[in-house]
Amino acid sequence: MNTIIQNILVFAAIVGALAFLLRKFIWKKSKSKKACGGDDGCGCH
Amino acid sequence: MSKQINVALIGNPNTGKTSVFNALTGLNQKVGNYPGITVEKKEGICKLPRGVKAHIIDLPGTYSLNASSLDENVVIELLLNKNDKDFPDIAVVVTDVENLKRNLLLFTQIKDLEIPTLLVINMADRMRYKGISLDIDYLEAQLQTKIALISTRKKEGIDNLKHLIANYKEVSVTPCIKASDIDKEYFENLQKAFPNQLLYKLWLVITQDVNFGKTDRKEIDAVANFKTKSKADLKRLQQKETIKRYQFINNVLREGQTIDVSQAKDLRSKLDRILTHKVWGYAIFFVILLTIFQAIYDWSSVPMDFIDSTFAFLSEWTKNQLPQGAFTNLLAEGIIPGLGGIVIFIPQIAFLFLFISVLEESGYMSRVVFLMDRVMRRFGLSGKSVVPLISGTACAIPAIMATRNIESWKERLITILVTPFTTCSARLPVYLIIISLIIPEGRFLGLGYQALTLMLLYFLGFATAVLSAYILNKVLKIKSKTFFVVEMPNYKLPMFKNVALTVLEKTKSFVFGAGKIILAISIILWFLASYGPGDDFNNAESIIKTEYAAQQLSEDEISQHISSYKLEHSYIGITGHAIEPIIRPLGYDWKIGIAIVSSFAAREVFVGTLATIYSVGNDDEATIKNRMAAEVNPILGGPLFNFASGISLLLFYAFAMQCMSTLAVVKRETNSWKWPTLQLFIMSGFAYVVALIAYQFLK
Ligand SMILES: Nc1nc2c(ncn2[C@@H]2O[C@H](COP(=O)(O)OP(=O)(O)OP(=O)(O)O)[C@@H](O)[C@H]2O)c(=O)[nH]1
Ligand SMILES: [Mg+2]
Repeated sequence: MNTIIQNILVFAAIVGALAFLLRKFIWKKSKSKKACGGDDGCGCH
Repeated sequence: MSKQINVALIGNPNTGKTSVFNALTGLNQKVGNYPGITVEKKEGICKLPRGVKAHIIDLPGTYSLNASSLDENVVIELLLNKNDKDFPDIAVVVTDVENLKRNLLLFTQIKDLEIPTLLVINMADRMRYKGISLDIDYLEAQLQTKIALISTRKKEGIDNLKHLIANYKEVSVTPCIKASDIDKEYFENLQKAFPNQLLYKLWLVITQDVNFGKTDRKEIDAVANFKTKSKADLKRLQQKETIKRYQFINNVLREGQTIDVSQAKDLRSKLDRILTHKVWGYAIFFVILLTIFQAIYDWSSVPMDFIDSTFAFLSEWTKNQLPQGAFTNLLAEGIIPGLGGIVIFIPQIAFLFLFISVLEESGYMSRVVFLMDRVMRRFGLSGKSVVPLISGTACAIPAIMATRNIESWKERLITILVTPFTTCSARLPVYLIIISLIIPEGRFLGLGYQALTLMLLYFLGFATAVLSAYILNKVLKIKSKTFFVVEMPNYKLPMFKNVALTVLEKTKSFVFGAGKIILAISIILWFLASYGPGDDFNNAESIIKTEYAAQQLSEDEISQHISSYKLEHSYIGITGHAIEPIIRPLGYDWKIGIAIVSSFAAREVFVGTLATIYSVGNDDEATIKNRMAAEVNPILGGPLFNFASGISLLLFYAFAMQCMSTLAVVKRETNSWKWPTLQLFIMSGFAYVVALIAYQFLK
């Protein structure tokens, strides 16, 4: 039982992480329009 | 609901537009004591008396409406295009009381566009020191406007300004100068050709080569082609216009402004004489840098060690307290060490930005720009390239955006290309940890070797940037026509609030920006390191037990062997070994290879990545630093991070183009994939070669 829950959590974490990275670096769309001035480091990282 | 009032804040650079914007809107946009801080328009809402709302736009600083650079274009495009949704109901021209004469030029130009124009005279708190007094009523009458004398620093006059904005309809739109005064014949003909248009607007369109994105192209072309004069003649007329304007301004100020020099307590010129001195200026700058780097070390070592051991403890605690299982391992071996690799650097990052923002706010940074300008000229670049190079110490992205105020395209391009060499704050973590592993802690004349090394790396970055600019300059055959006047702002006591905000903002964006990435990466790395394909991985236990059956090993040693065998045969181990041949000549093992690859997402994750890889299957409570120090070179034996491989890593990180976000911004600013691609391959290739040579020499 316990192991199942743990495995599910791990699986969810990995899917989330993958989705985040893909969105950020490969699939990045429709964000460049936002104002981006000196300070906020906009998109830095 | 009543309509919002559109308000545009316009003015010369560094007059305090953004400060006024913040005072009106309650927002916290970046303010800095040197020109060119704001390069794009920013918007906010201000609540006025009686429930009226104003939509405020903060614009980049402009010297005049005769645009010469991209950020100045923003202002002109807005003012000439009545259909723009942001077209101002009222233009608020912000001026600095100490530079009123020069600042008023822009005011008269905007007024001549017959837009209701308010005059804000900012920095009223400085009048006392300079012995300035103003006859506001007289000025209002002569300039035919309403004036708000304010000090955003002392928060004085803001309510009056709000009141004036709310009553914008009362502001007169009479122009200051009649265009026909400049050249009767020419302007009369022009008016005849376009009877329905405002004369001064026509004149601006004719004399600019701005790119009027949104305005009606046909109309513009028709006007722009109205050629009864040669280019040279037009230039002459433009000069005549400027002279007329200054005559007008001089007349107004002669009566309206008195400056009692005897009352001026002028520290500034004395300070400037020393701080921008040919020899002392550089010496002082050098000492300031030394102090900063030493302080970053001295002040942050205690909090850094504390954070490091806290995370080690946390990891251990999680493992012992939570029920055993995959997710607990993910937390203890993946996420916590990974995050630790970021959080540990908060103290240094905060101190770095503390110093940078104090230097900016005090006005000293402009003196540095001036000093560097002298050096840069030798290399064929103007001082305008210095500002991006210096602000690149925070992050290359805003620095590349700051190149927008360079007029000459080629010079701008060169600056964009070399800026990523400047040591950005993302490199700092890598430098700090490697330096602490390979450079002894001793001191020389009170200066730590470690701090000196760090400073050397910053110099190296800057020198490489300048040198490659020099080379590019030769290759791209630039005739540098950008001339540069350094704006020397006044020295000011840095405002605690501004400094604190900058530090907070930057630190936050460091932690959260890099934090999210490292969180995701450490989850994936943990998975790749904890699982593997095939029999080698799954039968690790039995393989090791049979292999070492003959030897008398303790339980601990056996499990150590098992986990390292598992790691070698996990997905990540296999990937790592695949890239190992490429990086082995630089003195790295496959784990460092993985860390380098993940650094392309963001350099800061280097330490976190190693922390995650090292903790998988590791049960002892150890800090990141200790784990790195304990790593053994799999082939040569001895510590993995020794002097040779450490220096090689430092050089690699100094030169390699490892930041996808920067590449994306370069693409956007240059509008082509060519430049970022070149950057990526040339910089990284160069980094590889230098690191290779360094390692082979030192090993
Ligand atoms: N003494 C004094 N300093 C002020 C006042 N208002 C702003 N400053 C300082 O003036 C400097 C410039 O302010 P900003 O608001 O960044 O000026 P800006 O016009 O937006 O500058 P750019 O965006 O670079 O064109 C900062 O160091 C402010 O702290 C004031 O009322 N009195
Ligand atoms: Mg500004």
